[in-house]
Amino acid sequence: MKTKHTQVAIYSMNAEMTSEQAVRDAVQTHSKRVWRFALALSGASDVADDLLQATCLRALERHHQVTSHNRLDSWLMTICRSIWLNEVRSRSVRRAQALSVTPEADLVASGPDTETNIFATEVFTQVMQLPEAQRETVMLVFVEGYSYREAAALLEVPIGTIMSRLSNARQKLKAVLQPDAAHTARRSGK
Amino acid sequence: MTFSDETLVAYLEGTLDEAQSRAIEAAVETDTALEHRLMVLDPFAPLVHDVFEKLPAEAPSVEMPDPVMPAARGSGLRLVAVAASAAIAAIAVTFWATRPADLGWAQQAAIYQSLYVPETIASLDSSTKSLDKQFEMAEAELGRSLNRETLESLPGLELKRAQVLSFKGKPLIQVVFADEQGQPFAFCVIRQGPDAPPAEIKQAVLSGLATATWAQDGYGYMLLGNSPQTDLQNELDVLTRTFAG
Repeated sequence: MKTKHTQVAIYSMNAEMTSEQAVRDAVQTHSKRVWRFALALSGASDVADDLLQATCLRALERHHQVTSHNRLDSWLMTICRSIWLNEVRSRSVRRAQALSVTPEADLVASGPDTETNIFATEVFTQVMQLPEAQRETVMLVFVEGYSYREAAALLEVPIGTIMSRLSNARQKLKAVLQPDAAHTARRSGK
Repeated sequence: MTFSDETLVAYLEGTLDEAQSRAIEAAVETDTALEHRLMVLDPFAPLVHDVFEKLPAEAPSVEMPDPVMPAARGSGLRLVAVAASAAIAAIAVTFWATRPADLGWAQQAAIYQSLYVPETIASLDSSTKSLDKQFEMAEAELGRSLNRETLESLPGLELKRAQVLSFKGKPLIQVVFADEQGQPFAFCVIRQGPDAPPAEIKQAVLSGLATATWAQDGYGYMLLGNSPQTDLQNELDVLTRTFAG
């Protein structure tokens, strides 16, 4: 069997292990965020599973590109999006279209409180039915807390585009998400 | 220009007039404090956040290759020395599975192989010297010959690399080829142990790749093309003959 000594020997002989370890740590830390982003991109949880897996392996293969160990989360997001756009999206288009009719709202309807579940389902469905560009932006800014300019850098668009995508998304989400409407939805179970 | 909180909320709710909206959007380009205020005041963000933050319910399982060299039976130090001197320590990879019995070795191999692009194999060192070392390590791990002459003479395929991987402690060898278009093609062999049942040839598309798997005499075999349409038949004919026990 492998001994500890061998591991140490390999680590010390290979300076790249430092960035590799940073990538491994980042994968552990950010796997949920990357999965959510993958869900926003693909619209399907099983595709998100595969995208996350592919993202992590690709990140590991490219660990030598890592020069700073800060903000590896946005680096992972960028890789995830690149794999989605270049390798997975075309294969998933037909499925994504089918799924957009019936988003997997049961993902969020797992709480004990029915009214909360109904509201969560409504929010989830509305977000998942946004066009992809708005969906990815909403996920990065609203859910993951990236600033407008961070999201702009990650998605490689001007900051104004981020703001207009968010404005458009807000308009569509308004019906269910405005505090009043949300309250009504909670109450009426709509 | 300064904007009141009321003006910003009106913007966020979509009730502000066009001119003022554009003014805010223009100002944000250079004003990070304004950007921060907008983010804090946004009434939609927390609602969406609270719903999606709960996803996924459990930390998703990610299967990462292990950084440690797989156990070299009986010749650990020598192999480590070879790995270090050839600067190939990083290619000896072990898969560990966190999902119990979720993905079999073939599914895992297909996920891994699906990440290969022509650039991946274009940069591999396929010199005779490198391949000698790789096959020596691979065959030592596997405990059987990989019939290198056969692999080198597969029509239309150029042998690029033999890599030692491991799946749940079992040695898994991935032999990578380039086809005539430079697209990746792979043949994998896993040592499953003497009690593993034999399996007939089964073709399937896994992770977007045409694959064929079979098992015999304690070893599992897998061919992987580079698209769902890759025709594996010629290679399959040769390899099922060559690796028949």
